[in-house]
Amino acid sequence: MTSLKQDEYYDLIRGVNWTPKYVPEEEIFPEEMSGSRGIPMAQWEAFDEPYKVTYGDYVQTQREKDAGVYSVKAGLERANYVKTADPGWVSTLQAHYGALAVAEYAAATAEARMARFSKAPGNRVVATFGMLDEMRHGQLQLFFSHEHTRLSRQWDWAHKALYTNEWAAIAARHMFDDMMFTRDAISTAIMLTFAFETGFTNMQFLGLSADAAEAGDHTFSNLISSIQTDESRHAQQGGAILKVMVDNGKIDDAQHMIDVIFWRTWKLFSVLTGPIMDYYTPLEHRKQSFKEFMEEWIIGQFVRQLDDLGLKKPWYWDTFVADLDQAHHAIHVGVWFYRPTVWWNPAAGASPEERAWLEQKYPGWNTTFGRTWDVITDNIVRGRLNMTLPETLPLLCNMSNVPIVGTPGDKWNTKDYPLVYEGRLYHFGSPIDRWCFEQEPERYKGHMNFIDRVLAGLVQPPDMAGALAYMGLAPGEMGEDAHDYAWAAAYQRKAAE
Amino acid sequence: MAMFPIASNVEGDMAIMVVMVDDEGTMDEVAKACAYHSVGRRVAPRPDKILRVRRSSTGEVYPRDMRLKEAGLLPTECVDLIFSDA
Ligand SMILES: [Fe+2]
Ligand SMILES: [Fe+2]
Repeated sequence: MTSLKQDEYYDLIRGVNWTPKYVPEEEIFPEEMSGSRGIPMAQWEAFDEPYKVTYGDYVQTQREKDAGVYSVKAGLERANYVKTADPGWVSTLQAHYGALAVAEYAAATAEARMARFSKAPGNRVVATFGMLDEMRHGQLQLFFSHEHTRLSRQWDWAHKALYTNEWAAIAARHMFDDMMFTRDAISTAIMLTFAFETGFTNMQFLGLSADAAEAGDHTFSNLISSIQTDESRHAQQGGAILKVMVDNGKIDDAQHMIDVIFWRTWKLFSVLTGPIMDYYTPLEHRKQSFKEFMEEWIIGQFVRQLDDLGLKKPWYWDTFVADLDQAHHAIHVGVWFYRPTVWWNPAAGASPEERAWLEQKYPGWNTTFGRTWDVITDNIVRGRLNMTLPETLPLLCNMSNVPIVGTPGDKWNTKDYPLVYEGRLYHFGSPIDRWCFEQEPERYKGHMNFIDRVLAGLVQPPDMAGALAYMGLAPGEMGEDAHDYAWAAAYQRKAAE
Repeated sequence: MAMFPIASNVEGDMAIMVVMVDDEGTMDEVAKACAYHSVGRRVAPRPDKILRVRRSSTGEVYPRDMRLKEAGLLPTECVDLIFSDA
């Protein structure tokens, strides 16, 4: 007996659906979980994505991928790259693992929601693989980081971070909960797999993999590029769902979801990826600036994908493009200044050579962000380290949960965007964060950011020491300057002359 | 007296600080409390200037001897601290 070729049967089996006789369709697919928006079952059957993987193929390929990354890890274990790596690179790894490893595990739940509740049979098939992918990503990244826990307790934050009330962990959790845990299957497909994964994880995993290869960290480079091959497959769900939405008159609804989550994702990555790429990664290993990565992956590729689907750039596009010169530089100063409040050691990245690179990549950096670093550097040179540390907390955004920031120095534009809603004063870092809130106040109004918790008396004593305890940061976990201020040595020499 | 939280946006800084100030204090005292967390830390001192308090939402510059509690600010409301000649 000859068997059929895969392309002769694949579409048929992936599209297998059934017509329920004993239970009404809306009981099998409740609207709040499915989010089918009145589009009939038959229309969802048009779902199509290009990978067309069978379960047998999937298992075999994943097994090979795992064998690949584990053997690279085993082969390089003796060399122990991390032990001799530049401290800035170690911080990059610690920030990445803490913010993402457990979130990958959480993404399995989001995929499972599509696998169970999407009315598109093809989506249910691909999301089943996606769910297994995300378990793999969680497990791999928890395992790969674990071997370093003997070097410092900060590595333990790969597992710990998202279970704490550390401020960046609150920010990440608020965003991930919004996108992955509290949306119907169709919204999840659009927000998580299209906006977040096609757009931003691509950049984090491929961009960082390129930097890792340059830095000689082949274990990490291999690991995250292997993860990215799964991401590029299951990220296709979003485009396929969007096509069904667009073909059935739901383009405005789709656009609105993209507009909300694209901004939320940008804010998170401006904290996570921006400082890593432009300040922590050793200068000689930087492949491109963060802005250049964003221009390539987001402004280039993502916009093309929007175009192909008949969708538009988010309405605030010009503000977003301008923010590429601002948000992550400002957040970086904040993270460095508040270094005891993070689980990694921020690298200042402000030596004379690094500043020259920043000025070249971001013309005008010296008279804006450079002015801030001038003051900080001067304090280090004069031995006034206490003046390089905070004694109070910064105002946080009630949407992104990260500090409200702007451009300092000669182009000062720092500004709070307030809103009084049901008698409570909320603060936002931009008109767009405030717009996100106003789209669905019921969803967001109850959340308390770190400052709200301090003012409500949840943080005791209400000072920096109490804040650090509330965040779960013990000595040995709190961040310090990654290079023990060695980057300021050239300024010290100059001052001595 | 009561300690009152305000959001302090000092001219030239890249972030806004939450500062607890005595609501009986004058605007000059508010400015001093705000400057403590920004000037000399991330913003260069400007000894030839004085810091004036401006309500962010309206642009109203408060008299230097006005008491904070007379300004009618909401808790955590944002004020800008502007380097001025007088
Ligand atoms: Fe993943
Ligand atoms: Fe994923």
